[in-house]
Amino acid sequence: MTTLIAWLRRISTSFIPVALMGVFMLGSLWLLSAATENSAQFGRLHIVLVVINILGLIVLTGLIGVSLLRLIHQYRRSATGSRLTARLVLIFVVMAVTPVSIVFYFSLGFMQKGIDSWFDVRIDRAMTEALELSKSALDMRMRDKLKETRELARQLQQTDDGALLFRLNELREKSGASELLIAEANGRVIASSSADPSTIIPSLPDEAVLQQARDNKFYIGLAPLRDQGLHTRVAISLEQTDAASEARVLIALYPVSERISQMAESVQAAYTKYKELVYLREPLKQSFAFTLFLILLVTLLSAVWAAFFFAQRLVAPIRILAIGTRAVAAGNYHKKLPVTSSDELGSLVQSFSEMTQRIAEAQDQVKRSQRQADRERAYLRAVLGRLSSGVMTLDRDLTVRAVNAAASHILGVNLDYSAGHKLAKLEIDFPEVTQFVQTLLPHLNETETEWREEVSLYGSGGHKIITCHGTRLPGMEGIPAGYVVVLEDVTELVRAQRDAAWGEVARRLAHEIKNPLTPIQLSAERLRRKYLARMAPKDAEVLDRSTHTIVQQVQALKEMVQAFSEYAKPPQIQLRPLSLGELVREVLDLYRGYGRQISFHFEEQQNLPPVEADPGRLRQLLHNLIRNAIDALAGQGDAQIRITLASRKEGSMRFVELAIEDNGQGIPDDMLDKLFEPYATTKPRGTGLGLAVVKRIVEEHMGNLFAENTRAGARVVVRLPALEQPAGNVTQLHPAHHAKERRRS
Amino acid sequence: MHQVRPGCRLLGWLCALLIYAVPLPVLAQSFSVQDARTTLKEGVYRLDARLIFELPKKVLEALDNGVPLTFALDIEVRRPRRYLWDDDIASLEQRTTLQYFALTDQYLLRNLNSGYEASYFTLSTALRALGNIHGLPIIDAKLLRPDRHYMVSIRSYLDLESLPVPLRMRAYISRDWWLTSGWYSWDLGTSG
Repeated sequence: MTTLIAWLRRISTSFIPVALMGVFMLGSLWLLSAATENSAQFGRLHIVLVVINILGLIVLTGLIGVSLLRLIHQYRRSATGSRLTARLVLIFVVMAVTPVSIVFYFSLGFMQKGIDSWFDVRIDRAMTEALELSKSALDMRMRDKLKETRELARQLQQTDDGALLFRLNELREKSGASELLIAEANGRVIASSSADPSTIIPSLPDEAVLQQARDNKFYIGLAPLRDQGLHTRVAISLEQTDAASEARVLIALYPVSERISQMAESVQAAYTKYKELVYLREPLKQSFAFTLFLILLVTLLSAVWAAFFFAQRLVAPIRILAIGTRAVAAGNYHKKLPVTSSDELGSLVQSFSEMTQRIAEAQDQVKRSQRQADRERAYLRAVLGRLSSGVMTLDRDLTVRAVNAAASHILGVNLDYSAGHKLAKLEIDFPEVTQFVQTLLPHLNETETEWREEVSLYGSGGHKIITCHGTRLPGMEGIPAGYVVVLEDVTELVRAQRDAAWGEVARRLAHEIKNPLTPIQLSAERLRRKYLARMAPKDAEVLDRSTHTIVQQVQALKEMVQAFSEYAKPPQIQLRPLSLGELVREVLDLYRGYGRQISFHFEEQQNLPPVEADPGRLRQLLHNLIRNAIDALAGQGDAQIRITLASRKEGSMRFVELAIEDNGQGIPDDMLDKLFEPYATTKPRGTGLGLAVVKRIVEEHMGNLFAENTRAGARVVVRLPALEQPAGNVTQLHPAHHAKERRRS
Repeated sequence: MHQVRPGCRLLGWLCALLIYAVPLPVLAQSFSVQDARTTLKEGVYRLDARLIFELPKKVLEALDNGVPLTFALDIEVRRPRRYLWDDDIASLEQRTTLQYFALTDQYLLRNLNSGYEASYFTLSTALRALGNIHGLPIIDAKLLRPDRHYMVSIRSYLDLESLPVPLRMRAYISRDWWLTSGWYSWDLGTSG
């Protein structure tokens, strides 16, 4: 069924079958009309032609039905072009049906009237009268022949059976009859004589003739003989000679003169034909009307089908265009549109195809450019990613555009996701970069083209010094397109510079101060040795005291220089994971001797993470801090030193926090800022390097420290980055990578 | 069993259904075979039969109006086979027209096969003459094998195809015109 529908569909869309079918139907209609006119050639084909035409009609109806169903389906779906197709079909159908119907109506009327006009009462009467005339003309001749035959019968009556044949021949020749015959009533021929010698068997009339002759003594009638024209047949009943013998009949055939015979035949043929025509008038009308109706139907259905066919062909380019437009709207510029016609619509489709092709080419170009731009961007990103300097680009409205890996590394936070976010959000997400953001913000404006700032950050990586180099990106019409900030981690550089400066100071001190000290000491000791014994006791005492002071102060100077050069020496630290709690307990053991004057309190949080540190340096750090606290508590009753170890988390960083708290006088406010600078001391004695060394050790361990006054006294807090691994695995693990790097540098 | 030629019937049905949309006409049994036999005479099988023709009013009306009627007589000799269709040995069609002539007031029978003509004063004698078949040779005995069994079938019907075209359409869809005797069969060499 589906294949049939598909076949019908294919048939209904191609032109050649349409033309063939049209020609076939036309031919069949012509034959049908010829057959309806009772043509000798096609008369016998009539019913076959009717059936062929009806089958043609069924096929046409099927095709139209398929087309109509398809159109309705498309119309319901609101398919492209269906409305236009429907409208065109409607117009075509109306244009075809109206004139054809009008022509049919009038043709039918004319045909009926034409057939009726053949028949007329006068013709009818004339025909009947012509027949009557012929009959009476023949009648008169027949009566003459009856008389003649009666005479023949009388003569034959007297003839013996033996001479009957001879007599019969004689009489036939005399009378001009074509045949004479004597038969018995049962049909048995007694004797016969024929003018035509080829006739062996006499033409015996039917029983009715014999019967009538026997009953009425005679019969007279016309006999149309085959190939011999019209004859008058007369039968006379012969009188019976004796009762025993069968009754005999004389039958005579007289030819009617050829002319009269012809005329009679002609009249009869005309009469018969006319009568037949009259009789067939109604069937003829119906037959013509039927043929005409078939022609009408075939024409109409062909027109309707043609309407579908041509409407679809007309709309096809429009549909193709619509499909193309939809494809273009959906972004598909590569759709090929078939050109189905060579008219304006076809060229429209052609132009559309060319247009989309151009667009497609342009789009391909754009795509190529885009790909190139992408490649370049990727290249740039790769370059930026490999840079050791951090790069951050920002929009005009301070939205982060791009951040490279080095920036994340330098700032110690993962900034990968931050692209597309506001700079201010960074501050919320990562409190540890607050300082950085706050430094940036005042410079990101439309007036400043270039700036440079240094930022100190305390993050998981410890204390860092970062230089930020900002540039405003040139934009259009004076409005900046954005900003670029280049970050450099200068922690190591600053440290190296400072170390180099202190090293230089230490070298100079050793050279300029330490070297002259020995001669000074030696000179003072020589003065003392040489002159102390010889001098008067009063003078000797002065000398003794002075030289003693010189030697003592020189010694102190030496120690100071020694301490200083040690401070300035580049660090040689050996980092390893260790537990700060154990170290604190170990150091505190050494201070038991102070137990009576000062009470020590040590609190340690449970499960404290380990730190990566050099134990020797940390021990010094603890000694310095504890001594500093002891110094602060000198001469004070109820002196207390409280040491606490705790784990702290700030943002993504974990620290181990060591706090040393005393209940002394506290730190003067003006000292708080420079407490950890060398030689910043309030104490009457000491090198002034204690807390500076502490700061230095903390920095070596990437930590930070600060001092503050509490209600009871002062507190120094040291924070060291915690190792993330659990303490149990500590010894098996490698030291943190970056810490090691720093040590090597 | 009434039979007409399948083609005619199909066409008639189609006409009936499609043109006038009248119900299928029931076939009238107006022709019948009263008696039929074959006799072997001088080495030739000859047919003797008596057929009865009764014509409905409409057909008579057409005849009286000068429309010639053609009667066809189908004669078939077959050899029945048990597992296959029957073997057609011979088939013969006799066609005779009957026409009324007003001038002579006679009915003329004309055998279209032989050209033999005969006039009759009344229709009944003409029809009787039409129905009387005497000694019509149908097959030479030499063509048949004596050890085999053969059947003869005859059927007479009114040939609608020979009617004038305007009447033909009407005849196909009217039961009055479907005139047939149906097949009448008997064994060859015996009486039916």
